[in-house]
Amino acid sequence: MSEPKDKRFEDVEFGEDLPEVDVDVSLPNVKVFAKAARMETGRFIDHEEARRNGLPGAIVPGIMSQGMLVALIHRWAPNAEILNVDTIFRAPLLVDSKPVASGVVTDIDEDARVIEIDLMLKNEKGETPVMGTAKIKLPG
Amino acid sequence: MNAAELKTQFTGYVFDEIELDIEPESLVGFATACGETQSRFTDPTDPDFQGVPNYLTRIHGSRAMPADFPVEMHRCFDAGKSVQFHAPVRPGDKIQGRSEIADIFEKSGRSGSMLFIVHRMNFYNQAGVHLATVDWRLVQRELD
Repeated sequence: MSEPKDKRFEDVEFGEDLPEVDVDVSLPNVKVFAKAARMETGRFIDHEEARRNGLPGAIVPGIMSQGMLVALIHRWAPNAEILNVDTIFRAPLLVDSKPVASGVVTDIDEDARVIEIDLMLKNEKGETPVMGTAKIKLPG
Repeated sequence: MNAAELKTQFTGYVFDEIELDIEPESLVGFATACGETQSRFTDPTDPDFQGVPNYLTRIHGSRAMPADFPVEMHRCFDAGKSVQFHAPVRPGDKIQGRSEIADIFEKSGRSGSMLFIVHRMNFYNQAGVHLATVDWRLVQRELD
């Protein structure tokens, strides 16, 4: 895969899709996140404990899902300045599932020079447990 | 107590303050596990090394709700997080987080009523620079 290139405001088109990313929500990677975020509780890093607490298995921390959507933006536009990101957790995203992160440019404010992006994480069933929006700035 | 009364009583003041030191290992682990590839987020030797924009979402206060708040947290679920990013968090920063309830409202539908609580944390560094505003939306399915 080629290295992503910095973007300018003028490079972005309304309706443009961000390249999809297969995100890593394997148990070992979620454990790395949980350690860094001081969230090493069973519902995130232990399938059996999560099941004992009524969940279908260990779940991905919501803020990790949000971080993966932020990373999706940076892979598309490494120099993007993220102004805000808002994520909605509609359903649990399961550890060891195979989600795909995607996004689409939904608004370009020429006056404020702000770009709005719709973001989502889909699981292998085609469901969207996490969705969100972000506003970014680019030079130009 | 209904949602409007809760809002009147519990919004508009800071109910908790915490301080936290930012360690580079935590910034790197958070970023790499999320799939960041930019060295300004993953490499502590990068001259612009900083936390990813939503890094501060990991920080919670010493208490989730004000004293005497009549909603049990274990009955709530996490409905979402919003981050307004103002300035980068850097390794070695001493962060201060201030918690408040930003909003409380109720929505009703076919399955009953739901109480929405917006828990807001504002984060500042040791120089008083405002780094981020994090809104955490909590939902309780039925209001007692």
